[in-house]
Amino acid sequence: MTPGALHGITVLELGELVSAPYCGKLLADYGADVVKIEPPTGDPSRGWGPFPGDAPDRETSGTFFFLNTNKRGVTLDLATDRGREMARALAAQADVVIENRKPGTMASWGLDHATLAAANPDLVTISITPFGQTGPYSDWLGTDLNAFHLSGASSRYCGRPGEAPLEHGTFAADFYGAVTAATWGLAAVYGRARVGGGQHVDVSCAEAIAATFVGGQNIGGCAQDGRFERRTGVGMPLGAPATILPCKDGHVWMLALEPGQWNGLARVMGNPEWMTVDIFQDMYQRAQNADVIYPLLIEWTMEHSKREIMDRCQAEGVPVTAVFTVAEAAEHPHLAARGYLTEIDHPALGRVRDLGAPFRLPASPGGPARPAPLLGEHNAEVFGERLGLGAAALAALHRDGVI
Amino acid sequence: MTTPASTLPLSGVRVANFGWVWAGPVVGQTLGFLGADVLKIESRARIDLTRMLPPFAEGVRDPDRSLSNHACWAGNGSVSLNLKHPEGRSLAKDLIARCDIVIENFGPGVMEGLHLGWDDLRAVKPDLVMFSMPAAGLTGPLKDIRTYGLSLTSTTGLDSLVGYGDGTPIPVENAFSDPYNGIMGAFAILAALRHRDRTGAGQHIDYSQQEAVMQMVGPAFMDYALNGRSAGPLGNRHPRAASAPHGVFPCAGDDRWIAIAVTHDDAWRALAAAMGDPAWATAPGLATLAGRLAALDALHEGLAAWTAGFDDYELARRLQAAGVAATPVLNVADLLRDPHWRARGTFIEVAHPLGFTETIYGAYVKTSRSAIEVRPGPRIGQDNERVFKGLLGIDDARYRTLVESRIIY
Repeated sequence: MTPGALHGITVLELGELVSAPYCGKLLADYGADVVKIEPPTGDPSRGWGPFPGDAPDRETSGTFFFLNTNKRGVTLDLATDRGREMARALAAQADVVIENRKPGTMASWGLDHATLAAANPDLVTISITPFGQTGPYSDWLGTDLNAFHLSGASSRYCGRPGEAPLEHGTFAADFYGAVTAATWGLAAVYGRARVGGGQHVDVSCAEAIAATFVGGQNIGGCAQDGRFERRTGVGMPLGAPATILPCKDGHVWMLALEPGQWNGLARVMGNPEWMTVDIFQDMYQRAQNADVIYPLLIEWTMEHSKREIMDRCQAEGVPVTAVFTVAEAAEHPHLAARGYLTEIDHPALGRVRDLGAPFRLPASPGGPARPAPLLGEHNAEVFGERLGLGAAALAALHRDGVI
Repeated sequence: MTTPASTLPLSGVRVANFGWVWAGPVVGQTLGFLGADVLKIESRARIDLTRMLPPFAEGVRDPDRSLSNHACWAGNGSVSLNLKHPEGRSLAKDLIARCDIVIENFGPGVMEGLHLGWDDLRAVKPDLVMFSMPAAGLTGPLKDIRTYGLSLTSTTGLDSLVGYGDGTPIPVENAFSDPYNGIMGAFAILAALRHRDRTGAGQHIDYSQQEAVMQMVGPAFMDYALNGRSAGPLGNRHPRAASAPHGVFPCAGDDRWIAIAVTHDDAWRALAAAMGDPAWATAPGLATLAGRLAALDALHEGLAAWTAGFDDYELARRLQAAGVAATPVLNVADLLRDPHWRARGTFIEVAHPLGFTETIYGAYVKTSRSAIEVRPGPRIGQDNERVFKGLLGIDDARYRTLVESRIIY
């Protein structure tokens, strides 16, 4: 079989929870050899679940499973000198170290980029944190929630006016930071020969969103004119219809802005007279009459299912989509036809369905194929292969609580 | 060690970017920030709609003066070619023969319609990496689905998780998935580039924006896979109920808020102490995460009543000092004046060749060896002479003819 595109890249992940593990997973899914170091108590996401039947078990956490496929797992207590020494020895042989500890933690362990690069000048160290390695908030405590709301994204784009700004209901900032880190980190690996060695890649999850999502479309105007906008609770307040509306069995994302789309929607709805009124021919005028338009549309959507609305609108070229639940998205025939979902055998979970490769590389396979590691599953294999430790040495390390 | 040719890891990589609007241009931008020579192929015959998005520099409405367009496209160069004209397409192919990568974010079949599909292009550049990022991929029953970036997320389950917990999904008011996929798309290209370098083989990447974004739903998907459950909107609660309190609470002033995440029991004790240990917060049942989750609504209500009197920044500093993960919720104007983003140079003022200054985002990742220089967004056709004369070797007379006949346009 053709090896994955990143075959031959050796990665050491000292990550926990979401951001660094997802970055490691992206590299592992496309063929990098990723060894994940966990403390003897395990990555805390092993405690997050979801667990089958809600029965907590550090080997059956769905979050840990999803984020750590294709990796090998070892345990090391980095609070011990021996544990840190072994981590340094592994890093000396690695192309990439990925970590998401609070800034300063890696240095306190003697595992910061400067120390590791002294022994391994080609090393790329990827640090992913809510706020970054520098700046006044670098020593602040932070989580995915803090990062997201420091980015401007929620205040500008999500929530009703007067109510709390909202995040996505998933770890949006951590995922965004992880993807950013994987891209910039892989570029640093790819270009090592060009630039004369490895380097430290400092990713702030909040900054990536603040710049590329919020900044891109808002910051120039705000700097020049001193004006800025806030969330409205409506999908697109300037044009209509462009928002989420309730329907018979859930919700649809109703979008019909261009004249052809509006007329297509009218056809789907049986050309009601009100839709042909002159002042409703323009998306801006429709938005100014949103209090009239939306209730009339809802009257119709409430009589139809999300699938029916989506299918009939799409057939008329109107970009309306159903707001799928997670189950509806997962079971959609389109994803089945594309083979997006996959199944993986896991020693404790049995056969598990998983989301497949995030993108298709036809010439080089990708996506999860091996389950997330059990806690310390590859201690003997990795410490034997990389550090030359035999059974007796491993037993001693185990006895001393290092692994 | 020899002196490197450049500090930028992708120097020497050339990209033809047919991307339009937002996601495709960000793919090019990402590679461009990292040193690739990225040439957006566009035309005055059909000006990209984001070039006409207000506000404009100094208020002058012009396709080379849209401030948001410049921020989102910076890092891309620009050559202008009228692809409706056969000679325009032929020149595009000549350029692609000298590129490593082609990027496009049209619907499936559009590039084929321009005779610039994968089969056409690999004939002129056998080891080409071609990157296509249609909404739902190049194959499958929904491949021709019509969506906008801001509603594409509805097909992934993601939108069903956004809202206040009353079951009503709240729309995210812009295409989060566009820059997300733009950056992740560059990762896909880098992986394929490495494959090419190792094997000599190019490939056509099938990047479904739906599938890439759906990864963000991973933890919620696992609850479906393992327990058959689909979550609804969660407000700002922790998506795995592993932290409480966990939310956004009001502060003094107009639309001022603070985000607080209590990740462990010590942090809860610290927060209660900061509040002056009121009776409701020191109830023994709240000492554990399970107890706090069981009383979450009341807890959030009590906390909101307390935070409401404070300045958001001041309270964040005070809680941070006490060991609680608390941060102000920033609005757009705050991004420009916040000391942290100023210290990191997140937003930069650049001088545009047309004579105005504009604020765009700079290198939003800090790299210790690579000195990343972000220049203003491209003018239409700013790289024409360098590319058509310099790279393709077109002489002055023919170049003039191509411009006059609006093929280079």
